[in-house]
Parts: sequence; structure tokens; C-alpha cells
Amino acid sequence: MKLREVFTNGIFKENPVFKLVIGMCPTIAVTTAAINGIGMGLATTFVLICSNLVISLLKDFIPEKIRIPSYIVIIATFVTMVGMIMEAYLPELYDNLGIFIPLIVVNCIILARAETFASKNPPIPSMVDGLGIGLGFTLSLTILGSIREILGSGTWFNMQVMSDSYEPALIMILPAGAFITLGILTGLINRFTTKVD
Amino acid sequence: MSETWTLGLKLLIITAVAGFILGFTNYLTEQPIIEQRIQADMEARLAVLPSAEEFEEMQIEDIADEKAEIIELYTGTDAANKIVGYTFKVLTKGFGGDMEVIVGISSDGQVDGIRIGNHSETPGLGANASDEKFTEQFVGKSVDGPIEVRKTGSLNENEVQALTGATITSECVSDAVNLAIDYYNETLIGRGMDN
Amino acid sequence: MEYLSKLILLFISSALINNIVLSKTLAICPFLGVSKRVDTALGMGMAVTFVIAISSVITYIVHYAILVLLGIEYMQVIAFILVIATLVQLIEMIIQKTSPTLYSALGVYLPLITTNCAVLGVAIMNIQENYDLIQTLVNGIGVSLGFTLAIVLFAGIRERLELSDIPAHLQGVPIALITAGLMSVAFMGFQGLIK
Repeated sequence: MKLREVFTNGIFKENPVFKLVIGMCPTIAVTTAAINGIGMGLATTFVLICSNLVISLLKDFIPEKIRIPSYIVIIATFVTMVGMIMEAYLPELYDNLGIFIPLIVVNCIILARAETFASKNPPIPSMVDGLGIGLGFTLSLTILGSIREILGSGTWFNMQVMSDSYEPALIMILPAGAFITLGILTGLINRFTTKVD
Repeated sequence: MSETWTLGLKLLIITAVAGFILGFTNYLTEQPIIEQRIQADMEARLAVLPSAEEFEEMQIEDIADEKAEIIELYTGTDAANKIVGYTFKVLTKGFGGDMEVIVGISSDGQVDGIRIGNHSETPGLGANASDEKFTEQFVGKSVDGPIEVRKTGSLNENEVQALTGATITSECVSDAVNLAIDYYNETLIGRGMDN
Repeated sequence: MEYLSKLILLFISSALINNIVLSKTLAICPFLGVSKRVDTALGMGMAVTFVIAISSVITYIVHYAILVLLGIEYMQVIAFILVIATLVQLIEMIIQKTSPTLYSALGVYLPLITTNCAVLGVAIMNIQENYDLIQTLVNGIGVSLGFTLAIVLFAGIRERLELSDIPAHLQGVPIALITAGLMSVAFMGFQGLIK
């Protein structure tokens, strides 16, 4: 595959949220506002690029039998780093994302890319793959976060976008709203992509 | 057996390197995190007691009732070193878990402002307690009596409007403020005047 | 006595009010993935209960006996996830040797549990909420029974959905998500249980 294909693959064809339906927990949980969606998406992207790079570099060092624990340790290292850096320099976002920062470790997207891509490919394509998948994830989270924030709070990136007379639909910010919005979005995407195929 | 040893050793190496890297990152970020917290605490104190210029921590022991606990108490002084009020960091049990409320009470006996610190309330419901619309209601309330939360209807002098769909959270906030008021009335009242 | 009622409240709250899937939105992957049939859902639920109950106690001990003692709390995520991964492997081996019936019931689900974020999530929450060892265990069991309840109910609904006439593009994941959303609304009704 060419690098460009590797990159766009993660955003469209293998979009983790809408196509592969993995990484659901942060998708549902943190998308109460667009900014949280972007924050979580970029944090995950950072971890994905770094862990893909390291795993690809170490693929001959890591024995087959202990590859899963090794991958998990590598991923957990970068996740903890992201947590520390975020707490120091982006405290507000750190508070908003809360427990979902350490839980990036068990985001199946990252382990899945380690298994299916980074452990079989050279470092550069692995990083590009991490970037593509990560941005696909970020994009999905931002879209979902935007819809929920606009309908549920009447704001977008904390700017008022709905008129004052708009009564925010509370359910959109609750978990229920996340499930339903994601369900309808996935349905719509199915509707349009199956037509193109 | 030797294969098991190699496997174990390799995993150990990976974990050790990981530990080393994290130790280093921790060393780099520890100071900024502490400074950031001090800064945030300072800003919160200034926000709830704007008339003060400097704050000094007071030593306190176990001030708590069944609903809340005062964990930090600061005396606020102005440029002339006169006591203008007190700020309290009160820990209370919110709907989703522990919740910090920072309360400022000025020496003339009124609530000067409140801020919500760390909390785990439901986004969109209880988490709205941090909104100015809610916290502003406490500003100017007198310390003569406890503050009550009201769901509907017109508000009396010592009442605040509950958050929509988050009565419990609203009551927790008022519990925290009331504990600060009680302590102010019992122990702190008048201190600023003689100074 | 007061402690006991606190434990009961904690149990109800972690199982129903703060249901791990429908309110805390953790463990969504297995919730969506292993819920096509009631019996597999029940198997997954039991396996998760088993692992969470044991892992919350062990991670608790690891945290206080090793990490805090050595002052390396920043290694928490690595330590916990390694403990959970090892534990899942161990449990799998032990069940396989001692109880073939249990293994045939739970065996296929066990490897999936390492990346079930509820396990790590509960372990971290127990530490964040400052629970003691008994509260940790009660919370762990409450959370996992809540998970089992949610996934079994969900599977029951999905079995019925199979027979319904659903627009082609909504079949599968989309309609499952919408169903989960409606269940989440229903579970919000439990919020009135505890004041």
C-alpha cells in the first residue's frame, strides 16, 4: 500500500468508530462537547502514533508468545505520559476527560493496530497508519461531540450558536443521547456508503 | 525452562525501560502540575473573595457535619493588611461522588462568591453547578441563616433556585456553603472587625 | 451497622444507579459485541463478574502495598493492566484444569476481558474514591452484576429485534445503539432510589 492509501484508509474505509465499531467507550462517554471529542481524539492519536512506531521498531525483539503483554506495557507507557503532560499543561481538559485518559490503554483500536499493522510493517508506514486511524477517530468524536453540544447545550466549542429561545435538549448530553445519536449516524453512513458501493 | 527465562527477561526489560521513561516524564511534569494546582487554588480564592489581595492558610482540625467537611481555610487580607474575609474549601458528597466547593465569606457577613472545584457530577445536569448562572445566586447571601434550595416558585431572601434535574447536587452545594457559614458564625465572626 | 448500610447503598448505586454500561458508559465493546443471544450474554456477564471481583481486590493490594510504598503511583496504569492481563490468563488456566464445565461456559469470553475497560476502570475508580478493601470488593461485585443485568436485558431485546422489520440501513449496530440509548433512559429511573 502507498503511504497515502495507508493514511486515508484509517479516516474513511476503516474508520474505527463508524466502520469498525471499536473504541466505543470513549466515543460515547466524552463526546458531551466538541472540545472534549477533539481532546480525546488527539490524545489517542498521539498514543497510536508512538505505540505503532515503537512496536514496529521492536517487532524483532518482542517474542511472539509475550507480544500482547509487551504491547500493553508500551501502550500504557505512552498513555501515562499523555496523562501527565495533559495534567500539567491542559488541566481543564484533563478534568473533563477524567478516567477516560488512563482507559485509552484498553481502547481496542490501539491494540488492534499494533496486532494487525505495526507488528508487520516498517516504522514509517506504521506511524502513518497511526496518524490516519487516529485522525479518523478524532474526526468521528468531533462530529459526534459537535452534534451533542449544539443540540444539548446550544453551544459549539463553547460559543453560543443557537438563539436564546432554544431550550437545550438535555438528553443529548446524557449517555442516552450519545447512544441514540451514534446509532442514527451509523445508520445514515450505512445508507450513503452502501449506495456508493 | 530457558525459553521461559528469556521471555520473562525480555518482558522485564520492556517494563523496566517503560518505568524509567515514566519516571523521567514524572520528574519533568511534577513541578508544573503542582504549580498549576497552586495557581488554580489561588485563582479560585481570588474569585470567591475579590476584595482580598493576600491569603494566609489557617490551621484547622476536623470541622465537619454529617454532610460536608472543611478541608482548607484561608484568611484574606487587603493591601492594608486588614482582614476582609475568609475562603473555605469544603468537601461534600455530591451526586456522583466527592465534590469540592470553594466558598468566600467577607467580614461584613455575607457570602462573597462560590466556585465548584473537582467533582464528578453528571455532565449536563449536576455538572452545571459550575455555571455562573447557578453560583452567582449565592453572592450576597447573608450569613444570618442557612441557605435553602428551592425547586420551583418565587425565591425568598435566603433561597436559591435548584439546577434543573439536579436537586441533589444543588443541595450538596448549599450544604457545603452552610457549613462554612456555620463555622464563620461560631468561630470567625467579628475577628476582622477588631483588626 | 452504619457501615453495613453504607455498603448496601454502595452496592445498589454501583449496580443500578451508576450502571457501568448505561450510566458510566464503560464496557461498551463487549456490551455491543457479545449480546446477540441471552445465553452468551449471561456467560460473558459471569466471566466479567468473576474477573472484576478478583482483580479489584488484587489491584487494590498492588496499589497500596507496592506502588504507594515505593512512591511510584505514576506506574499505576502499567501495573494494573499487567495484573489484569496476568490474572485473566491464570484464571483461564485454573478453570481449564479444575472445572471443565465452568471452562466450557466461560472459556471463550476470558481472553476478551483483558481489553474490557470496565475491569481497569473499576480498579482505578476504587483507588480514586478512596474505598477500603471491603468497599472495593462490594463495588466490584456491584458493578459487574450491573453489567450482567444490562447485557442480559439487552440481549433479550436484541433477540426480539431479529424478528422485527427494521429498515435495512439500521439493522445490526445502529439499531442496537438506539436500543441501548432507550435502555439508558429507562435506567435513569433508578436515580430516585437513593437520595
